[in-house]
Amino acid sequence: MIEFQHVFKSYGRGRNILADINFRVEPGEFVFVSGPSGAGKSTLLKLIGGLEPPSRGSVHVNGHRIDRMPARARPYLRRAVGVILQDTHLLYDRNAMDNVMLPLDVMGLGARQAGNRARAAMEKVGLAGKEDLNPVEMSGGEQQRLAIARAIVNRPTILIADEPTANLDQDSGRRIMEVFRDFNRVGVTTLIASHDKALMASYAMRTLRIDGGRFSDIQGVA
Amino acid sequence: MNRWLRQHRYALKVALRRLAVQPFSSLSNILVVSLALVIPILAASVLVSIQPVARDLPVSPEITLFLKPSAGPDVAGKLADKLEREHGEDISQAIVVTREQALGKLKENPSWGEALAVLPGNPLPDAIIVTLADTLQGSGQASSLAAQWRTLDEIDTVQLDSDWVKRLEAILRFGRIGLAILAGVVALVVLATVFNTVRMQALAQREEIGVARLVGATESFVRRPFLYLGALTGVVASGIAVGLSAIALQPLNAALARLAQSYGTQLVLHLPDGVSLLLSTIVIAILAALAARWSVTRNTRI
Repeated sequence: MIEFQHVFKSYGRGRNILADINFRVEPGEFVFVSGPSGAGKSTLLKLIGGLEPPSRGSVHVNGHRIDRMPARARPYLRRAVGVILQDTHLLYDRNAMDNVMLPLDVMGLGARQAGNRARAAMEKVGLAGKEDLNPVEMSGGEQQRLAIARAIVNRPTILIADEPTANLDQDSGRRIMEVFRDFNRVGVTTLIASHDKALMASYAMRTLRIDGGRFSDIQGVA
Repeated sequence: MNRWLRQHRYALKVALRRLAVQPFSSLSNILVVSLALVIPILAASVLVSIQPVARDLPVSPEITLFLKPSAGPDVAGKLADKLEREHGEDISQAIVVTREQALGKLKENPSWGEALAVLPGNPLPDAIIVTLADTLQGSGQASSLAAQWRTLDEIDTVQLDSDWVKRLEAILRFGRIGLAILAGVVALVVLATVFNTVRMQALAQREEIGVARLVGATESFVRRPFLYLGALTGVVASGIAVGLSAIALQPLNAALARLAQSYGTQLVLHLPDGVSLLLSTIVIAILAALAARWSVTRNTRI
């Protein structure tokens, strides 16, 4: 469950990136966060992922109130939230397998168990057999899928993705979306930020529309 | 293997990988720390080598009273008795060395024998060697007694034999303080070098640190490889410094042997003992790890 209550976010004394945001996402929901570039979609996702605290208001994720959570406790929450940022943030000094294994190294999992889980995650996103490749040797779509594999290897209950199809051709984008749908079908709460109206329309899911830091429209589409 | 150990093993692996990725840069940083460490190790070698020599020297002050050549043959004995009577508490013993005994002792040395043979008579005076009591408080009291005896009619010269030992001890004390200051300066060099090394590494690994935080790494997890990097730098640099010091002592000892021989003595410089070197390596490793922690905390702040 994700719940925002009167959430504001600003940097320093600047304008509010988010202003009085209120919404609730139930466990297992698939939700799009739409809006133009600079609308505050990425900031919203960062608040859910515990990557940044809100300036005001309360943010509840998986029953924890993030805004009151001490900084040292937030990493443990992040392990339950798979985050895929617009820039994949893959590490190019290691192969694909080691990239996927990083969250498991963080958790201190044994090499064999970590290896099995990483291979399974890569298989789920259609990258089986590409474990030894360096991410730089992969296509844009494969890199995006690798980032998804890294986000899901911890078996998160929430998956958030910021413009995951932005830099991909239509086919690759659709394949990525199918990967997200598959995870959602097994109960993973999924939030995807996008400004691609056609893409969102084709999935007919609930969409939270954000513009200028405010929710201008909330559509509940079954 | 438990989770804690696995995370430490991972941190060590990452630290080694980061060292290996930039071998020349890593090696040059280690060498800078090593060269800085060589100086106090050599200074400590000199101190620990000289200290036993000073320790073996008679440090209980002896005062030698040389009588005037005109003094009669029984004056020395009477004066020695008088001194023991009047300064019984301050004196451990007073031995008379007659001019004949002194000459005989001198003649035992072949290098003096020939010179003395050409002299028409015995040029040496009678002497009284006064060993002061251990209970004597400080060198000031010995100097005061020497000054008092210098005024006696029968006395020509008074020599406080422990003066040069005290000077040597003062030099060693000065050396120890100098070494402590030097160690402090070197500690600062180690801190600054490791701080900068880790700062550069932290900047180079910014992406990796960001991703690790993204997937739920704690700050300890992020910092740990840098702590290992600092500690490893300290340990390897200490090892190299000990090796370089040992190499440097070879030519120094060869030169020192010739110098010491000219004074009829032997002096060999050696490294401090293994336990001291091990302890100093541990201290350097801890210091370097602390510098690394400080640096990574400052340079990777969110």
